[in-house]
Amino acid sequence: MSNSPSPQAEAAMQNLRSRFFKKGVILAIASGMIYGIFSACITQGMAVGPWADWYGDNTVGLSTFVIIYVLGMLGSGINDLVSSLWATGIAGVRGKFMDFLRVLKTKPGLVMIVCALIGGPLANSSYIIALQLAGPIAATISALCPSIGAIIGRVLFKQKLNLRMGCGILICLTASSMIGSLAFTSVDVSSNFLLGLLFALIAAFGWGFEGAVGGYGTTLIDFQISVSIRQSISGIVTIFFAVPILCAVAGNIGLWPMLFGQAISSPAAMIFFVASGLCSAITFAFWYKGTSMIGAALSMACNGAYSFWVPFFCWLILGVLFGQEGFALLPIQWAAAVIMVIGIFLIAINPLDIFKKPKEA
Amino acid sequence: MMPMNYAILKLFEDGQTYDADSVMFALQDNYAGFRAFKKANVVESLMAAEKNDLLEQASYDLDELGELHIYYRATEYGASMIKSYIK
Repeated sequence: MSNSPSPQAEAAMQNLRSRFFKKGVILAIASGMIYGIFSACITQGMAVGPWADWYGDNTVGLSTFVIIYVLGMLGSGINDLVSSLWATGIAGVRGKFMDFLRVLKTKPGLVMIVCALIGGPLANSSYIIALQLAGPIAATISALCPSIGAIIGRVLFKQKLNLRMGCGILICLTASSMIGSLAFTSVDVSSNFLLGLLFALIAAFGWGFEGAVGGYGTTLIDFQISVSIRQSISGIVTIFFAVPILCAVAGNIGLWPMLFGQAISSPAAMIFFVASGLCSAITFAFWYKGTSMIGAALSMACNGAYSFWVPFFCWLILGVLFGQEGFALLPIQWAAAVIMVIGIFLIAINPLDIFKKPKEA
Repeated sequence: MMPMNYAILKLFEDGQTYDADSVMFALQDNYAGFRAFKKANVVESLMAAEKNDLLEQASYDLDELGELHIYYRATEYGASMIKSYIK
């Protein structure tokens, strides 16, 4: 430090830091909320048009393997492809398209591509398969990703994680478990259900890794460019590599053009994929940006409240708006949401600071 | 030409201190035409780099117009990251 700053400079500095911190927290919380809207949109998109037949009457005679694995991957891939158009379009409007191409050829760009593969095809598809096999508890189990991300951030990037933050994360996890406990009492624990939990855990690791590494990468790469890379790589690899490979494994590679063609030519389904794609472009942008501003531990704890936002927006959009049954929220879910807020608050702020004399603004 | 965010961090490789204004001055020849080349964006990039230990605060003060200037320099860790990741 050179000369001592004036008290006015110190106050201005505190003010700037406080605004920066609050913006990071708001972005991270908003990313979790928008993720809830995304989940409702993609759930609805995969319930209408040809999807209704594939998951319902199944007049085309799809095998169980195709219904569980290929359709889950297809839905995730279509969403990411649409989302990549939104993300690169937004980056283009902001004058960042050329930077997007330049970043792809660099080392941080390569790291972001690896992140996209782990957090995209691997985690997304695992999440959707888990939703199909285990139901809404998948959202709750996959909400373990904040703690995984916080640990990765701590190990790889030496990000701070003290006892108070650890307690806050534990409280958030307890809240998630409260919601999760509902599924265990209402669902038969079949082998499919347990397999669904395993896929949900894979999703949690993938997103934990992505949140910590991708969020850190956003320190080097502009966040809108990061999201454009993430969604483009994820969408292209899922649709043009992962889905055809799974179709081949299912014994009929010809399924790929048939399923993909029918899905994208259904306006009834695609309107929801357009909405879910926009939501995922925004939710990932906010998540990456928030993580770069406040660190992986806090950002992922704020974002992890999606385990409440997912059932909340499914209830609001699918239950209230579209009149579908089975999406009502129980009192325990509301209680868990309040506990999560307490957990996030504890990670973000030292309660003892509230009792300290406030500094002059 | 490298992406704008890279160029901002690359500046700090010389061991000097920069604030948002001096970063913009140093990069204006190449990046003034970028829509994202705004002071608010540069300030956020510098603060995020500080949050992630690539940069550290060197000094700060108000100018005669009452505007805050925060000067940053690369940390040892940040300098090695920038050297290794941004060519």
